[in-house]
Amino acid sequence: MFDLKKYRKKSPWILHYNAGSCNGCDIEILASLAPKYDLERFGVINTGNPKQSDIFLVTGPVTYRSRERLVELYTQMPEPKVVIAVGSCTCTGGVFRDMYNVEDGIDRYIPVDVYIAGCAVSPELIIDGVVKALEILEKKSKEMEKALKLFKEATSENGVINRRNVALKVGEVHEEN
Amino acid sequence: MIEILLILFAPIIGGFIYGFERVVRARMQNRQGPPLLQPFYDMFKLIDKQAFIVNPYHTILGIMHFITLWVVVAFIIMGQNLLYVIFLHLLSSIFLILAGFSVKSIYSHIGSNRELLAALAYEPILIMIAVGFFMVNGSFDIAVIREHDASIASLFLLFLAYLMVMPIKLKKSPFDATEAHQEIVGGVEIEFSGIFFEFLYMAKWLEYIFVYLLLMLFAGDNIFLGIGLFIGVFLLLNLIDNATARIKMKHLIKIVLSLGLTLGMCNLIGLAYV
Repeated sequence: MFDLKKYRKKSPWILHYNAGSCNGCDIEILASLAPKYDLERFGVINTGNPKQSDIFLVTGPVTYRSRERLVELYTQMPEPKVVIAVGSCTCTGGVFRDMYNVEDGIDRYIPVDVYIAGCAVSPELIIDGVVKALEILEKKSKEMEKALKLFKEATSENGVINRRNVALKVGEVHEEN
Repeated sequence: MIEILLILFAPIIGGFIYGFERVVRARMQNRQGPPLLQPFYDMFKLIDKQAFIVNPYHTILGIMHFITLWVVVAFIIMGQNLLYVIFLHLLSSIFLILAGFSVKSIYSHIGSNRELLAALAYEPILIMIAVGFFMVNGSFDIAVIREHDASIASLFLLFLAYLMVMPIKLKKSPFDATEAHQEIVGGVEIEFSGIFFEFLYMAKWLEYIFVYLLLMLFAGDNIFLGIGLFIGVFLLLNLIDNATARIKMKHLIKIVLSLGLTLGMCNLIGLAYV
């Protein structure tokens, strides 16, 4: 029986999520998929469907309203998966750091495998990051990572489920338990 | 013997056509494109992924869609009745639509609705093609149709109508509102994951085989004309796919039903009276 693991890096399907970015990095991601840089030659498809994708490309500093969507999308992706933080905002918060509506980077909410710095990142760096992520993807196991720990219970009022504020910061889990 | 081999390897041949098409489409856009075996790499990767089951009926209906399509392709290759083939193909679409309605996702429901509307648009044309073949060859049997001369000259208007059906079945621009990859995230296939999505992925390859085998019926016993038709229509469809944008579902139905039905009826009336 041949090894199925080596095919993981031959067909990475990308899910792209904008967590409140200024669209600079999104345009660069589209540029790297377009004819000049042509990420599709590595078998990359931009699926837009979390249930069929392997690589989670996130841009933006995670605004207050996008936290639940970010964690929800992360938990909907099947293992094995890798997360790439694209751009300075996504890694650390960038110029938006310590603002009242911004959560200082996605690693407060989900585990990140590759950080790509730059404002905005260049398509060459994105391709580099994706290739680096593929090396990590090959080593990953099919076991679930600690994504579910990032969730609080959803509250319900009059039979309507309210999912606001279900996302939890990484540090917060240990404080409560 | 060769028929059995063709039936067994139909999904693999379809995979090669799909892979080749991705290369051709990339070259048309002045890109390098993925390798030829890319669909098979995708398949091996999907085996290795974790799979989520939303509910049992959803996954079973997805697998049924694939199996029914395979039976349809087998019927065409063995030369069975053309009407059986078309209605069995409709059954396979119905399985997919039911799968789409069996989950709670709104995108899945929209996708199923659109599949139904698209079936409403292309199914009359497929039936008219069968009737056209009957009027020319005197039989619905595919084996008989294959023994007669090429009927593309007398069925030319129906051939044009079929050219409008093909992009709907193959999910290509301008008629790909049923799948709509970024807009409704794939429609019916949104809740499938892992190895269960693989059945839908392979069903897409079988759809290629079905559509192009039906196209080659227009060439009758002339194999070279059949291969010529396949290559010409393949390139034409990819060119149109690259050059046009997606149109709305409403416009799809209007265009395909009005133009396709008119062309088909003109052809049938012409065959009956001229």
